[in-house]
Formats: sequence, structure tokens, C-alpha cells
Amino acid sequence: MERRKFIQSMFVASTVAVVTLPTGAFAEEAKKASKKGPNDMSFDEAVKVITGGKEVKESDKIKLTVPEIAENGAVVPVKVEVDNPMEEANHVKAIHVLNKGNGNSRCADIMLTPANAKGYFATRVKLSKTQEVVALVELSDGSFIQTAKSVKVTIGGCG
Amino acid sequence: MAEARKSMVKIKPKKYKVGDIVKVDFIVIHPMDTGTGKDKKTGKMKPAHYIDNITFSFDGKPFTTMKVWESVSTNPYFSVNYKITGKGKITVDYSDNQGEKNSKSKKIKPKG
Repeated sequence: MERRKFIQSMFVASTVAVVTLPTGAFAEEAKKASKKGPNDMSFDEAVKVITGGKEVKESDKIKLTVPEIAENGAVVPVKVEVDNPMEEANHVKAIHVLNKGNGNSRCADIMLTPANAKGYFATRVKLSKTQEVVALVELSDGSFIQTAKSVKVTIGGCG
Repeated sequence: MAEARKSMVKIKPKKYKVGDIVKVDFIVIHPMDTGTGKDKKTGKMKPAHYIDNITFSFDGKPFTTMKVWESVSTNPYFSVNYKITGKGKITVDYSDNQGEKNSKSKKIKPKG
């Protein structure tokens, strides 16, 4: 009798464990989805904040260098070169590095001056998943140009 | 976190003349926590901790300012161009969202 009870209880315990485990995993996933950083901002919002509703043109003046496939999303080198003179009258005012898939779409804003002599910026960013990296450039006449490139991320680099 | 952060300002290439356009690289050892990750030891959520403002200046005159968010990698590196105009000092001031403020400078000695 004792042994039978014991075996029965074992059986019950194991089924309970099997049932509860996947739900636990689901809960974790849901938690992940709801997990948000302190200053989350979607891509469209970020563009609106930067440009103030102005038109953004696609341009091949910007050379955006990102790896096609990034094995580690935590370290993705990004290089932006703008083919524009850096004179007092006509220079690159700002380079904004944005992404389309992270919680916070803004990576870095770089305000340049003619003393920089070249519209160049390089850094490394974190990407949570496969997505596009966007370089949005503001010229001194107030116009905006942009270029986007997609990066395939094997292992996400956020959190 | 009172200890001073390790940081570095590099000029590339090492030898330069007046009028040359050089790369100014700034590297800092910083966790750049996003506020969405857990501490592996304690299992608690780590608060966001990232560099948010950087200013590059030459002899006190700023030439590049940056606003940075948590999407930039751990131990970040930032690189911009600069045209050498003469002897002086490039200073990089940076602060993070928890109120830490530091700076690092590098002397500019053009040859020839």
C-alpha cells in the first residue's frame, strides 16, 4: 500500500511539473515582451522629434558602413561618412544614428562643426534583433537626408 | 561609483602636421546598462546606466557635441574627424545618466 501511494504521488508530481514548466516559459516570454527600457521611443517618433516633421530625402551622399551579418548583436560597428563639404556656409550639422528594432530607436546624435573638416562618425551599437540601421543627416541649410541598411543579427545584444 | 573611469583619447595617425585631418577616437570603460537586463549574480534588474553627453573641445572651444543613448555598446568608442590647426589640447568631457562626470585630454603636438 505504502509503495503504491508513493508511486502515485510521484506520478502526480511529475505531471504537475510537466504542465507547469511550459506555462512558466510562456510567462517568461510575456515578461520579455513587456520589458521596456526607461526611454523607449519608436523609430517614427524619433524621426519626428529630430526633424520636427520636415521631409527626409533618401540620399546616396551618405556612406553607411555596417556588417551584413552581425554574429553578436552587442557589438555592431557603425560608420557614417557624409560626402559633403564642411565649410561655414555648407556643412554637416548633425549625424543621427538610429535603429528600427530596439526599444529605444535613438543610438547617438552627433553635432558637428566646420572644425571637424569631414562628416565622419564611427561607433559600436547594440542591436536586439535583425533590423535596419539608419543614418539621418542634417545639413546646415536645414534639410535632412538619410540612408538605411539592414543588419542580420544572430544573437541579440540587449539585456 | 566614485572611482574614476578608465578612458582614452587617441589621435590617428600618430604623426601629423598642421592642416592634417586626423581621427580623434575616444574610448571609455563603461557598462552602458540598458535598464532591461538582469544582474547575473543577484538576479535583480539592473538600472539603466549609460553615457548621455559627450563634448569634444580643443583648448576649451567645443567642436563636437554628442547625445548618446543606451543603444550604444558596452565600453563605447566614438570617432570623429578633426583638422589640426596648431598646438593645443583636445579635451573630452563626458557625463552619464547617474550624474557621473569625467574628462580626459590629450595634447596636440603637430610636427613640421
